Amino acid sequence: MPVRVVFCDDSFLVREGVAGLLTETDEVDLVATATNPVELHAAVAEHRPAAVLTDIRMPPTFTTEGIDAAKQIRAEFPETGVLVLSQYIEEEYAFELLSEGVEGLGYLLKERVSQVDELVGALQAVARGGSALDPKVVEGLMARKTSQASSPLQALTERELEVLKELAAGRSNAATAAALFMSDRAVEKHISSVFQKLDLTQESDVNRRVMAVLVFLEATGGGGNRPQPGG
Amino acid sequence: MADVRVLIVDDQEPFRLAMATVVEATDGFVVVGLATTGEESLAAAAALNPDLVLMDVNLPGIDGIEATRRLREAADAPVVFLLSTYDEDQFDVEGSGAAAYVAKAAFGPDRLSETWSAAAS
Repeated sequence: MPVRVVFCDDSFLVREGVAGLLTETDEVDLVATATNPVELHAAVAEHRPAAVLTDIRMPPTFTTEGIDAAKQIRAEFPETGVLVLSQYIEEEYAFELLSEGVEGLGYLLKERVSQVDELVGALQAVARGGSALDPKVVEGLMARKTSQASSPLQALTERELEVLKELAAGRSNAATAAALFMSDRAVEKHISSVFQKLDLTQESDVNRRVMAVLVFLEATGGGGNRPQPGG
Repeated sequence: MADVRVLIVDDQEPFRLAMATVVEATDGFVVVGLATTGEESLAAAAALNPDLVLMDVNLPGIDGIEATRRLREAADAPVVFLLSTYDEDQFDVEGSGAAAYVAKAAFGPDRLSETWSAAAS
């Protein structure tokens, strides 16, 4: 069954282009488009979609409107997942988005939108209550945090870090095994070790993979200073 | 003054059509052709002699950067704006001979007019 989606972007070109791409696939039913957060909220209330795809920087301030909308939608319509789109890798925004929980939330770079399979996969993930983080964002988060001496990531081996990057990006064990040229069993072993070192053994399995990224972010002081608008 | 004649190059039809809509909505600009690959853009530019080429960066075959470089080798070459959903610093825009880079998210009639004026000055 196709994922029912509402899409919001203030850019005409992105809105029309992405909407066109989504209508070409049978896996998505684009039920409405919106150009700003107010229209988005109204469309979600009317259509109750399984997933929302929204830009981050939108009118009126062009800063975190998409993040704020995502949080509001998740609170008000918990059955609706939200995937936010960003032009740049903004780790602070990603952290802010996911700081209160990762269920049904995703963060994708706009450069992925033309890769329809990836976009659809991320929409399907958030629609079923899972998470979808852009691999580049995960990489940025990890690169910054691993450079800090107090990071729990210091306890991980290089191979465990590689596995964690794949997991945090939402890859399955099989996909991780294929990407890193290792057996499924080896991946499972590394995952178990990573979760143990990050003290994630008590978390539910569903979101433990993405929680792995957030746990060490929180352990090292959270997202830090937020970038200034336009910065 | 005659309209600026624009050739649009993008491998994805929805983006091609949206770009054409933006161009047609901009005073003083007219779409003269659409191309889907870098190779096709070279042939189309030779045949249509556009003033401006709006070139997507990521194309099958030769990419938009290489297609721009080849277009700009010609005498009386058109002005080229590169467009992409990617971040600008991932490309060697200057080295390609393109007059400007515009993020697809920022592309609209105002930006098209402004960028054209800046390139022409």
